[in-house]
Amino acid sequence: MEFDWSPNQRERYADTSAAVAERFAEHETSTDPESVRLAWKDAAGIGLTGLCLPREHGGAGLGALDTALSLEAFGRSCPDMGLVFGVAAHLLSCAVPVAEFGTDEARELLAGMAVGDLIAGNAMTEDEAGSDVGRIRATAERSSEGYVLNGEKSFVSNAPVADVFVTYAVTDPSAGFLGLSAFAVPRGLDGVVVGPPLPKMGLNGCLAARVRFEGCVVPAGYRLGAEGGGGAIFQHSMGWERGCLFAAYLGLMERQLAECVGRTTDRRQFGRKIAGFQAVSHRIARMRQRLESARLLLYRACWLLDQGRTDVGAIAMAKTAVSEAAIANSLDAMQLFGSTGYLAGAGIEEQLRDCLPTTIFSGTTEIQLELIARGEGL
Amino acid sequence: MTLDEVTPRITTFISESFLDGDPKGELTESTPLLEWEILNSMNSALLLNFLREELRVDVPLSSINAANFRDIAAISTLVSGLVAVPAEGV
Repeated sequence: MEFDWSPNQRERYADTSAAVAERFAEHETSTDPESVRLAWKDAAGIGLTGLCLPREHGGAGLGALDTALSLEAFGRSCPDMGLVFGVAAHLLSCAVPVAEFGTDEARELLAGMAVGDLIAGNAMTEDEAGSDVGRIRATAERSSEGYVLNGEKSFVSNAPVADVFVTYAVTDPSAGFLGLSAFAVPRGLDGVVVGPPLPKMGLNGCLAARVRFEGCVVPAGYRLGAEGGGGAIFQHSMGWERGCLFAAYLGLMERQLAECVGRTTDRRQFGRKIAGFQAVSHRIARMRQRLESARLLLYRACWLLDQGRTDVGAIAMAKTAVSEAAIANSLDAMQLFGSTGYLAGAGIEEQLRDCLPTTIFSGTTEIQLELIARGEGL
Repeated sequence: MTLDEVTPRITTFISESFLDGDPKGELTESTPLLEWEILNSMNSALLLNFLREELRVDVPLSSINAANFRDIAAISTLVSGLVAVPAEGV
């Protein structure tokens, strides 16, 4: 058992963190699509859009754990968590399946995705299909030119700025969730309709929208994997997303904790630092303990992925631990900063808003707990 | 593992994990698991974990399709044809 980072991992983390800090020091979260695209270019310039993609397609060829460490560095040094989330979702839920299951034709998109020239959005969720992907209604019917897609996706992160969508549609209605097929759909195809940006509570740097496919003809070469392989492909991509994306929140928690330590040692009340009050110092201790517990579970889940041992329970525990720690720590940070934290601008209320959706996206906590419980034979 | 060894293990797992023990004894080797939504996305993830952890068989992603998972007979044939992965620590 080895808990230490290798010299390479330390160096990559430090370099990434420094590069992110430099590029995003003056960055302000924006919901303007052009500004969002410019921020993506900065992230891409550091290699963050292609971390785990094959080298021959312009990626860095990193495994799951090393990808997670780089995303952790991104989350630590970039306060625009929406941007961090959007880049990570593009990489893990879109580029990973294209890289692993795409035909040569679909893989031609990869070079652009790896360097951030093409932004991808994962178009899975529908109004009636969230956790239960077997409820998906979008269809893909064979035609002489490939497949004809029809249906509407209700929440597609990155959609307003996306150049390509990875989507899932029913090709065999009698086969349940194994009747789904996966497709890479360039936005420029006829019949792709992207709705206006959805107003959201947080992660504002990641624009999201509904996406409708209206008789959209997709060449067969853009199908990912075999017909009917979409369900398994989606679960595979979620393994990567639940494992690696949440490392960004470890980074956020690390930054947040440093801010809280600074705040409680600087601020004086009743003639002493407020950190001198046990009610305050123990809150900080709890924040550290939650962060480190979640970190160990996440690193182990990613390590298992790298061993080719996709462990549903390990990933579910990591995802649950990180998301719950992120919310709990953000509430603690709010209390420690008091009214300053409640005011917009200091970053503390923004952290809380950015952390709240973590127990919902990439599979709700309820589903993760169900997976863990049923893994126990319940 | 032979087909005769695999089939009862998988049948028992599906019966106990997804059908409350199948009290009426309705589950057969040809019960359409996907069509009747006994195997949904969550249950399939649990089944794959069971195959890996208990039967030491790692099903490649390319083999996870409707033909191989439509019923117990198909799953058993698939699993019995896959080489068991070596045991590993936790």
